[in-house]
Amino acid sequence: MTTTHTGAGAGIAAASPTTTRHVPGQPDMWFFVVFESLIFTSYFCVYLFNRARHETAFLQGQSHLVLWLGVLDTVVLLTSSWAVARSIQHARAGHHEAATRAALLTAACGVVFLALKIVEWTRLIHMGKTFTSGAFFPYYFFLTGIHCVHLLIGFVVLGLLLKQLSDPRRRSQETVETCATYWHTVDFFWVLIFALLYVVR
Amino acid sequence: MTRRARWTDPKRELWLAWYATVAFYSLYAVVFFLVTRTQPPGKPWYTPEQVAGWFAGRHTGLLVGFALIFVLGGLSATALALITYSIRRMSVSRAFAYSYLILYAIAAVPGFLFICVAMTVGTMRPGRDPAVLRWLYDLGFLSFSGTMGVFLLGSLIWMTAILLDRNGVFPKWFAYLNLCNALTEVVVAPSWLFHGGVLAWNGTIAWWINVVVFGIYTGTFIHLLRQVILREDFGTGPLPAAPRRDSAHRVLEEVMAS
Amino acid sequence: MHRTTGEQVIFWTLPAVAVVWLAAFFVFPGFLPPMSPTWSPARVAAFYQDHTSRVRYSMILFNWFCVALIPILMLIVERMRHMAHRTPIMRYCVIGVAGAAPIAFLTSTVFWMVAAFRPDRAPALTQLYNDLAWITFTCGIPFLAAICVFLALSIYLDQQDRPVFGRWVAHFNVLVAVALVPAGFAGLTLTGAFAWNGLLSFWVKNVAIAVWIVVMGVVLGRATARQDEGAEVRA
Repeated sequence: MTTTHTGAGAGIAAASPTTTRHVPGQPDMWFFVVFESLIFTSYFCVYLFNRARHETAFLQGQSHLVLWLGVLDTVVLLTSSWAVARSIQHARAGHHEAATRAALLTAACGVVFLALKIVEWTRLIHMGKTFTSGAFFPYYFFLTGIHCVHLLIGFVVLGLLLKQLSDPRRRSQETVETCATYWHTVDFFWVLIFALLYVVR
Repeated sequence: MTRRARWTDPKRELWLAWYATVAFYSLYAVVFFLVTRTQPPGKPWYTPEQVAGWFAGRHTGLLVGFALIFVLGGLSATALALITYSIRRMSVSRAFAYSYLILYAIAAVPGFLFICVAMTVGTMRPGRDPAVLRWLYDLGFLSFSGTMGVFLLGSLIWMTAILLDRNGVFPKWFAYLNLCNALTEVVVAPSWLFHGGVLAWNGTIAWWINVVVFGIYTGTFIHLLRQVILREDFGTGPLPAAPRRDSAHRVLEEVMAS
Repeated sequence: MHRTTGEQVIFWTLPAVAVVWLAAFFVFPGFLPPMSPTWSPARVAAFYQDHTSRVRYSMILFNWFCVALIPILMLIVERMRHMAHRTPIMRYCVIGVAGAAPIAFLTSTVFWMVAAFRPDRAPALTQLYNDLAWITFTCGIPFLAAICVFLALSIYLDQQDRPVFGRWVAHFNVLVAVALVPAGFAGLTLTGAFAWNGLLSFWVKNVAIAVWIVVMGVVLGRATARQDEGAEVRA
């Protein structure tokens, strides 16, 4: 069922043109992206609706967030997206070692992001701002938490990507691109969450 | 000719199970949403007196509706059996199928038994202490929406099986829909922490959006199971495409299959 | 050469389990006669205070052995393998409900034992645990009824020269399933035939289960013996 339109297997660098395929990676993964985006959009709508009703309380909560930490998170994830895109480019050209290095960089960025998040959450909890306190922080912890779950799934996906790259017999460009699509989605959701929680005041 | 052919149809046991599945989920929706009105759920912030009022207002509905589930709830096993069968049809190890079978067999207990018992006991004695009533109310709703593990892991198992499957029993996008369903179990976790708001057991996020996803998921897998039955060739290789709808083709197939 | 499958071992646990269940049934002071749902909290509390030991020991017995029928149900599933079915779907249905069925029984023993654990508790709370136990025990029949229905269906679909179980077994299972239905409605009334101590919800239901165990035991024993004979002849 999974057919590869670009050259499958090692060595076939000059692949046939990709005119037969309309999206990179499995089309099914794009279904997931769209569906999850709809769900996240609904969460954001709920957030904005409730924020509009209790603006002062939300602003009060948001004031405890450190903007530059959020910016740093965003930069780290954007870097990881760039890295995974490079990895796909290398894989497409047949440079599998370079692709692997880029994928490892992606994972490293992911770990850094996770570490930053843990630092941020710990700081907030020590300040007395927990999941259940106030009007803003349930949303904050929920959105960043569910995003983090997606990130953790992303690590599994990256693991699959690395496995694909390492084993010449089982390599599938489509699977590799599908993994990258997922990772980009994780980044995309973060950018939206960052904008909503940290920036919109 | 067609009537006889259908009766000796080797797929009849699958079709019986499928129709039973549709009947079960229909019954479930009607009982929970219309008869007992326990979905959408009661409000977690109710005082004991308000809870007593909630029970009183639904007295007959609760008793009759949940009695129907007490009698017919075992039909839920048909969905489970069909899904187990479909996983067995995949190219992956049978461990996936049997794990799913066990997980969802257990799921019936928080899936309807606890709420049926809690709500029946709650409403059967009108004079019961409101504080006790609220304890039963909490038990019913929390066990119903908040028991996450079986559905979380069950969905992940089904997802993994589909992604690894080479027989194409289910489309890959349905694997990802399983992931979305698994994530609803993560999203509902905060309902154990909140007495109100969007993350409470009746909240916009933890209930309304979750139920929409779950509803889409259930409708989808019921449809896909039907496709699996139509396509089934009783082999072990890739599952063929669904048969064409024209009657001549169908009759020919039935003759060949019997 | 007779292969030791161990099925005879499993099978002969059935009479042993039946004896244990019967013993526990008689020891538990609340079954004969069955406690009434109309008792006041004070009377319920008094019951647990007066009969604490008997409640505890009988329920410990039940708790140990309430799942003991699962291997027997699995023996039935094994017999189903030889039915003229194209798919294992009916076996999966039976396995699916066999897992959940004892949990209802188990949960009710837990509630009874909790009620008896602190008999000097506030009577309203003891009454609560008592209610929970009785409702779970009486109304928790969906899985049992489903087993009967799935078995009956399997037998009706088993259309071959020498079916595993005779057709009358299917009719019998349908009858038992029907006999269990009234018990599902036990929550609706505190008095009368449908109440948890009433004719339909207590006597008919429990007698039906007892008869099912006996009849299916005999039927299973014969089917298993036939199986072994067939295996010996073939070997």
